[in-house]
Formats: sequence, C-alpha cells, structure tokens
Amino acid sequence: MSTMTINGKSAALPEDRDALLVDVIRDGLDLTGTKLVCGSGVCGACTVLLDGVPVASCLLPAQAAAGKSVTTVEGIGEANLHPVQKAFMAHDALQCGFCTPGFIVEATAFFERWRAANGIAVPSREEIGAALSGHLCRCGAYEGIFNAVAAACAGQFDGRDVQPPRVEAGAKVTGAAKYTVDIRHDGQLEGVILRSNVAHAEITNVDLAPARAIPGVIAAVSLLGDDGVVRFVGAPVAAVAARDRKTALAAIASIRLTSQPMPAVVGLDDARKPDAPVVFDKSSRKKAGNVSEGAGGPAPWKGNLRGPSAAFSQKAKKARSWIGSARDAQDPLLFEATFRTATQQHTCLEPHAAVARFEGDRLTVHVSTQAVFHLAELIAKRFAMAHDKVRVIADHVGGGFGSKASLGTETIAAIELARAAKAPVRVVFDRHEELSVTGYRPAAEMQIALLPSPEGALKALTFNAYADTGAATNSTLAGLARLIYPAEAKELSDFDVISNLPPGAPFRGPGGPPMAFALEQAVDEAALRMKVDPISLRKRWDTNPNRRRLYDWALGLDVWRNRKNGPAQTGRYRRGVGVASGYWLYIWQPGSSIEVAVKGGRLVASTSTQDIGQGSRTVIANTVADAFGIEPHEVEVRIGDSRLPEGPGAGGSRVTASVIPPTLIAVQKLKAAIERSAKRMPAPGSNAPWRELLAASPDLSANGVRPEDSKPTAPGVRSPLRDAGFIGIIFGWMMRRFSNLAIGAGVPSSVQVVEVEVDTWLGHVRVLGVHTGIAVGRIAAPALARSQATGSVIQGIGYALYEARETDAKSGHVLTSNMEDYRIPGIADTPEIDVHFDEAGFDHVMGGSVGIGEVATVPTSPAIANAIRDAIGVRLTETPITPARIVAALNARSAA
Amino acid sequence: MSEAATMTAAGEFRAAGTDLSERRRTGVSKGPVVDLVLPGDDGIVWGADGAATIGAFATIATIAADTRIKDAYPGVAATALGLATPQIRHLATLGGNLAQRSRCWYYRNPHIACLKKGGSDCPARAGNHLYGVAFDLGPCVAPHPSSMAAALLAYEATVSTDRRKALSIAELLGNGSDGRADHALQAGETIRSIVLPTPLQGERALYKRAISRSYAEWPLVEICARAVIADGAFRFVRIAAGGIAPVPLRLQAAEAALEGRPPTEATIANAAKLAATGAKPLPMTGYKLDLLDGLVRDLLGALAK
Repeated sequence: MSTMTINGKSAALPEDRDALLVDVIRDGLDLTGTKLVCGSGVCGACTVLLDGVPVASCLLPAQAAAGKSVTTVEGIGEANLHPVQKAFMAHDALQCGFCTPGFIVEATAFFERWRAANGIAVPSREEIGAALSGHLCRCGAYEGIFNAVAAACAGQFDGRDVQPPRVEAGAKVTGAAKYTVDIRHDGQLEGVILRSNVAHAEITNVDLAPARAIPGVIAAVSLLGDDGVVRFVGAPVAAVAARDRKTALAAIASIRLTSQPMPAVVGLDDARKPDAPVVFDKSSRKKAGNVSEGAGGPAPWKGNLRGPSAAFSQKAKKARSWIGSARDAQDPLLFEATFRTATQQHTCLEPHAAVARFEGDRLTVHVSTQAVFHLAELIAKRFAMAHDKVRVIADHVGGGFGSKASLGTETIAAIELARAAKAPVRVVFDRHEELSVTGYRPAAEMQIALLPSPEGALKALTFNAYADTGAATNSTLAGLARLIYPAEAKELSDFDVISNLPPGAPFRGPGGPPMAFALEQAVDEAALRMKVDPISLRKRWDTNPNRRRLYDWALGLDVWRNRKNGPAQTGRYRRGVGVASGYWLYIWQPGSSIEVAVKGGRLVASTSTQDIGQGSRTVIANTVADAFGIEPHEVEVRIGDSRLPEGPGAGGSRVTASVIPPTLIAVQKLKAAIERSAKRMPAPGSNAPWRELLAASPDLSANGVRPEDSKPTAPGVRSPLRDAGFIGIIFGWMMRRFSNLAIGAGVPSSVQVVEVEVDTWLGHVRVLGVHTGIAVGRIAAPALARSQATGSVIQGIGYALYEARETDAKSGHVLTSNMEDYRIPGIADTPEIDVHFDEAGFDHVMGGSVGIGEVATVPTSPAIANAIRDAIGVRLTETPITPARIVAALNARSAA
Repeated sequence: MSEAATMTAAGEFRAAGTDLSERRRTGVSKGPVVDLVLPGDDGIVWGADGAATIGAFATIATIAADTRIKDAYPGVAATALGLATPQIRHLATLGGNLAQRSRCWYYRNPHIACLKKGGSDCPARAGNHLYGVAFDLGPCVAPHPSSMAAALLAYEATVSTDRRKALSIAELLGNGSDGRADHALQAGETIRSIVLPTPLQGERALYKRAISRSYAEWPLVEICARAVIADGAFRFVRIAAGGIAPVPLRLQAAEAALEGRPPTEATIANAAKLAATGAKPLPMTGYKLDLLDGLVRDLLGALAK
C-alpha cells in the first residue's frame, strides 16, 4: 500500500484509481480546511502543497501523492501562525472564509518564493494578482488580500501577534472553522438527489426498488410534488442515502421513471409568445418560487406573464401621455431605450448543504443557511414537529447572498433520508447543482422612457420591466424607481415572465442592480442632453438627504473634477469616468432578541442569527465590548443555533439594525444587575471599571428585544414608503404582517464614481478605480464594513462585465454550471477602491447603524456603463459588457 | 487539462489528470483509466543545433519557467504561462494539454448527448454557441482547447508518439472535419515528445489571449506570433490562432501580407484584416473575428517595435 506524508505524518492512500486527493484529505483524514468548490481547478479552494508546490487537489489522483509530502492549511503555522495568516487576520482579507484556506496555502508559497528572491521588498499589485490568479473569492475580499500579502512579504507580520478586527478570523485562516459541508457524525450517510433531465414533464411513477437493491444503499425517497410535474431541468425527483457518494450516485442512476413529456418553453422571449406552453396552470400557481425578500402582492396572471404589478405608479396615464407627446414632438430631451441585464448566479463557494440527524423524536440539522431561526420554524411546520424538537445549526456559512434564506431541497432531502435511514445523512450539492438550481437574480428586459421638463426638472418616467424568473414570481424592479428621483408622473410596471427554467431567488438587493442599470443610465443620458454635470443633475432631482451629502462628496473627488477624457478620444485605449446612485430599504426584524450574560466572569452574547461573512459576530462583539470598555475578543458571541434567543435572518441587510438595539438594551439591564450584585464598586479613576466588576460578578444574564425606532427629527428623514403615499403604507404593513420585516425611516444610500479604461481592439474593459460613498449610519465594525463595501463593488463589477448564466433554449439545460463558464471576478480584476462612509442619517435608530450589504452593490453596474459611455461615446445597454459587446458597439458606431 | 493521448481498449489514458478528473467526477468519462507512467519523459533536452525536445510529461509550469525555453522559444513559454491557473500548470503536462478533450459546455454536461460522446449531432450548432468557432470547418462547433497546440503550430514543431515520429500539429490534431475526436492519434497511441526547430536568427515571438477578465479564462481568441524583422521588412512571420476553429489555425493570408513588407501600421492593419480569410462565423461568434483582428494588430505591432 502506498503512503504520503501529510502535515508531517504518514497516511495511507487508497488503491482506487478514481480517488482524488481532496476527498482523501477531507473525508479520509478529516482535514476539512481544504475545501472542494469548483472541481475544475479554477477556484483554488482545494489548493495544497505537493512537495512544496501549490496544486489543485480536486483534480489530483490520490495515487499521484504516493511517496510525496502534502501540506494542507492545517499544516501551515501549526506551531506558530504563519506571517501570511496573521496578515490575513489583521487586514480582514476574508469574509465568509470558505476560500480562505486555499488563498492561505497559495499565498504562503508565494511568500516563501518572494522572500527567497526579494527579501522584504514589497510585491506589486500586479505580482500578487498574477500569483493568486487561480483563486476566486465570491465575497470579494480581494482588497484585503492584496494588502495582507504585500504586508506579509514586507515583513510586517514576522513574529508579531495580531488581534484581528473580525473575531472569528483565526479559525478561518487556519482551516479550523467548521462549515456544514465539514460536519461528520458517526455512521453518517451521503445523500444524492435525482433530478429531472427534461424541462417539463409529468412523472407518473418513480420506481425506487432498483436503487434500494444496491448494496450500501440505506434509504431512497421520492421528492416529487403532489402533482408529479417537473417544471425545469434539475427539478428534484428522488433522493438516495448510501454509505458513500459513489454508491449513492450509482443508485440514483438506477431509479426508473415513468413520465409523460409536456411542452416546454425557455426564457424571456419565447415564454411571452402567445402560443407558448403554460408553465403553471391556475391550480399550480402556488408552487412558484419567490424572487424577492418579502411576500408578494396580488397581480394579474395570464399564461406565463404575471403582471403588471404597478402599485408604485403615480399618475401613470399622465406619464404615458406626456412621454407620447414628447415622442411625437421629437423632444430632444426625451430618452427612450431598452436595457437588458443577464441572469446572475449567487455562486456561493460553500454549496447548499445540510446534515440531518434524529435522536429519538429530536432533529438536529446543520444547514448552510442565512436564517437558522426561521429555518427551524419552517422545518417544524413542514415535518409537523414541535418547535422545541427541531434545532438548526450553522456555525460558519460559506456565502449566501440571498440564496440560502429558505427551506431548500438539500435540507428537505437530508431530513427525509435521515428519517428513512434512521441514520445521519449529509446532502451537499455539487457545483453543477449549485450553479443551476439554487436560484439567481433574474435577467430582465427594461423599457425606460425619461422626460425632463424644459425647466430642467424631472417630469415623467415610464419603466416596464420583464423579469426572467423561471419557475418563480414576484420580481420588483420598476417599482423600485418610485423611491428615488421624484417626478410629476411615473408609470412603473413589473412583469414576471415564467418559463421552464429553475426558479430565481432573492439576490443582494433584489431588483436593485438591474433597476439602477437602466435608470441611472437614463439619468446620465439626460445630463448629457441637458449639458449638465451628471452629479449636479442628480443633486437637483434627488431629494434624499443621505444621497445629497454623498453627491457633495462625489463632486469634490479629483477623478471627477479632473475628468476630461470624453468620447473625443481616438486611440486604442480610452478612459472614461461615470457616476451612479443607489439605495436600498432600511429593514429590521421585529422580535429580534439577544441575551447578554456574565458567565464565569466572561461576557457572553447569544442570539440565533448567523454570520455568512457579513460580520455580525463582530458587530455584536464590538457593541458589547464598547459598552463595557473591554476588547471585542473578550466577548464570546454565540450565534448560528436556532435554540438561542430569536434572532434575525441574514437577508435584506437587516442583521446590524436588528441586533444592535436589543444588544444595547440587554447591556444596560446587565450593567444594572452587575452593579446591584457588586459587593464593591471599582476605585474611582479605574482604567477599566467594568473589567473589575465583571471579574467579580456572579453569573447573571439580561435579555433585550428590538424596540421600535424613535421618531426621526432630522430634516427629510422619513420612511421612503411614506413618499410613495397610501400604497407605500400598505406595502410596509404587508411586509411587517406577512414577512416579519419592518421598513424603517431613512434610506441607506450609495453614490459611486468609477473610472474605466476600454481596450477598443480587444473589447476589454478594465475598471481602474472606484470611489464608493456609503451612508448607512454609524459604522459598527469599520474594517468589516469596508470589506463589505469593497466586496459589493467587486460583485457589481462581475454583474456589469463578466457574469451571465447561459442556457440551451431548446432543452432548458443551464450551460454555465461550472466556474469556468460562469465567470466571477478574480483578484486581478479588482481596482483600487476608495471607501467613504457618511455616518449621519440614522440617529433615530438605537446605536445609529443600519445594514450595508445590499445598497453597496446597487450603483456599480450603471456607474461602469456610464464610464464606458464617457470613454467610447457608445452606451452599452446590455450586461454583461463583454468583449463581444464592446466590439459590436464600436462596429455599430463606425458603421453609422 | 492534461489527460494524455487517447482511449485504448483497456481504458482512457491519464497523465496528470487535470482534464480527466473533472470529467470523471461529473460522469462524462466512465470506464477504466490507464495511467501513463513513463519516467524520463518529463525533461527538456537540447540538441547541438540549439533545438529543444520537450518530453510529453514536462509540466506546463516547467516550460513556462525554463529560462532557456523563454530565450529560444518565447512564444511557447508565454503561452504556457498564459493558460489555466498556477495550481493546474504545476500538474498539467504538455502531452496532456495537446490531447485534452473539448471544453464545450454541451460536451461537459453529462446529461446532454453530442458528437464527441457518440451522439449523432452537435447540439451547440443550433443551440448556444457563444464560445464556438468562427471558422466552421466541421460538424462540431467547439474550438480546440489546447493553447500549447497553437503555439507549437506557430513554431512548426513536430510530435513523436510511441509509434510515429515527426507528426506535424496538423497531423496530430487533424483538420477539424471529424467532429467526434479532439485529435487524430490512433487507438492506444501516446505522445512521447515534442520537437521544436532551431530558433531563427533574430526571431521574436509573443502570445496573447482575448478574454473578459484578467486571468484564468478560456480564450475567446488567442494567437502566438513569431517574426524576424531585418533590413526594414518582415522577413519571416508565423501566426497561429486558437479559440476560433476545431483545430488551431495558421493565419497564412496574414503572414503572406506581412512577409517582405515594412513593419508599418498600415501593413499590419491590412494583414489583420486578412486574418479572417476563410472564416465562416456562426450566428453568435462574429465577434471573434474582430478580436482576431485586434490581436494580430496588437502582437505584430508589438513585434514591429
């Protein structure tokens, strides 16, 4: 039997020629710091050192390691943290942490090479970018990674201890952080899902007997809905649990289906044709998914077209008629265009995963989820269990971005299988599943007409949006245009175009980025036609006080004041500067509560929220530490467990604003209790009075529940829904009643200024620099908020330039179901990003802070498109703005 | 990227496995695997004439980093450095890179039939061929995935197998008319080494791929260009392009338009236009000809400087 040396110890290698090193490391040796993500060598999460050289362990046959030395992330800095690990911690070069072990392994190899050749010289951004070009981070922690690697190489972390701004950073840089995919119980089985290979069919019989007959198969269950209809390729049909994945895969291949094919229709264009087959008949409409963060309102629904949802319109007829007249009169100020945005996949690096285990009548499920508490409620309801019998755990979550906020197939299948098998079952989606059936931001076609008045005011706007929602509904894009740039009249109509594609899902500011891509380009065009500075025009039209402060900041930026490029350039490389605005709603979750306790002299804060990389552990630790005058790492934060006091889901940018106020209340109560029980008060003038009191305190605890906000007093600060009149109030009431979400006063805002360079020969767009101004109140965890801000910009760059789901229009297969064809930004695509926080505007919220995650990505894609317009004189109306589209746009201009 | 050679009755060959492992995981490749363990075939040997012979199992990273290769065959070294990711280049072999299977998203999907998987037609032709060929030379519309093959074509390198010597790249890969295969090796035949010619006096070479991001992306179009410029004129030009056809192509019309002419912007622009000679783009791939034009201008312009 052959062996390898791994982290200094000898380990046997399996004889199976198909065994891959990553599986031996993770499953055989339980070294779970090494992650399996793309399975094709492009993301780097599985990188290990083979005789000192970084290699992709997801592609390496295990036998190839025979006689060699393998080092995983666990073996790096085993005795003492490596300078690269400390630098990653200090520079917050991580968010969800799932890609971090791979980056650490590659970066330490680069560090050693660099030191050997260059000593403590500082490597350039280009050198770091090239060295780490085989690694992808979906949170977009690249800014911190650049800084960390440069600082480590420069010797700044040699022999120095660090206290990271992110409280769990140490666990993430060493590979110790356990994600759902890393959970392994004794006797755990592997679950695999059989999925539909056709886009539309009625399955009349699922014969599980052949699967059950295969040795090693312990359970097989049907996952079909009651009507037996599958409506997209990849729809779940059945699931099997077996002793290993290979056996489970063989078992699902043996399942026999009897089915009746049904006519299918795929995509935005075909599904709108009058003779298109209908995806949901009246009786099955409730089976459609939901692409928004809240429940939807009623809307007309005919065939595959659901809409118009036009409640946010205002004098719609007037808007239409004014724009019609302007069109007839050939008003040069009228701008009309159709914009198209592509489908964006969440691309969480940790796939959707669940591990279910029954102990008697109690169920514990580890789930990669954004909502431990809510999910436990959903599970209890679906499986008719008492709430206190269901426990959901998510210690660390490798990204979510909106796709992990509900009860998903991975969880249902794991529970069903665990129940049937009477054994723990793990279900982990493969990359093909992750990039096809776990939801997405729907593509959209947006017809927009914007009419300024002769006096330079915004007179009328019409905006019709058709969203490519697949087997789902409830998109809101056009409606979001109501809450920015007040006009005399607006017609805003949203349509869902349903087809035989997987259902869309909420994705970071659902509807926001596509709406902004259309609206912010229309405003930019208006400024060009009116010959007004685009920022000044926004300041004229936009009444929101948060954004008005950001416009002043943007007007003062050198890159804006000195811009002179313009479309008169003729060379190969052309530069341009663009601006765009964005907003998101300030959302908090009523009922959010937290317990803050002293246990053995140590502060412990507990709430059933979760950290998917946004940094809520740290926000809570900082808030408690700040109140007691101690260090954040001295506070233990317990989250990621539904048994803790009810906490908020991580969606709608709601966590910060939901947890800080109850934390402050609990802290206040706890302080009073500590003082009451104190035998001796600290000496006057003590540096750390609370530290002394805490050390002497008996175990005590206090609870805080999220209170209502106080009434805002600052001018112009009110609920944006109030600006939308009666329908806004109804909408707010519905969100609270049916989705347990409160929409507060004040509007989280972002204004971004972007500089690009366009290579007119190769169609390549390089984003040179981004200035992102963000108003989300007081910043509770500055380094982490900065990571969120830069990561949001990087996701926005992906949305603008690279990312598109492609499908086969005939069969309904998703073709971009791998990370080579679905292209997320890499480190070398990251521009210099300047983050400006304007911390005013939310004084009516206890603590003064609201969430940042969504608003920060809304303006990026239109700002890039506006910069491209500035550079080449052509407006790109379709995302992603690929080389193909750039050369086509330039050809059209030279042909014209 | 590096499954070497081809299938035998005994199974599918595997070198480093960077292509094959992915296809095994997804189920596109089933059946037995035959590991190619041929010690001694991983080095670079230099002849007295200054020509290199590269063993089939030399890794892409080895080729990219070899100072003598960088000096004598800069186009080969630059291509090696420009493909895949560092953690793949450290494993993938040159032989495997030449014999890897198509990267077409239909071929790689285990649930879709296609010519390369024994099916009767190419679903990409009538379907989504965004990254397909712009020179439609055969029934399959996927471009050949090997960047190294394009570079070696520019160098007029030859390939030795365990059975045959001095195969041209065209003989190794065929002319693109057979949509079922990615190369023209016989069943059970394996690549052993790649023989490069003696570098010409004063030749220079460059490689570049057009992609949307900065790194780690399959080329939309790529070219490797060599030139000797002397006495105020292009004396020798070889341009090979990948990403545009079922096999890498020499851009002979562009080469002819350059050889003997002064290295001016006008000459190069004219040659760049001629790069598309013989092209037959598909409905979704016309943009590749613009990128091809841009790449020829870019690289020949840089060589002329």
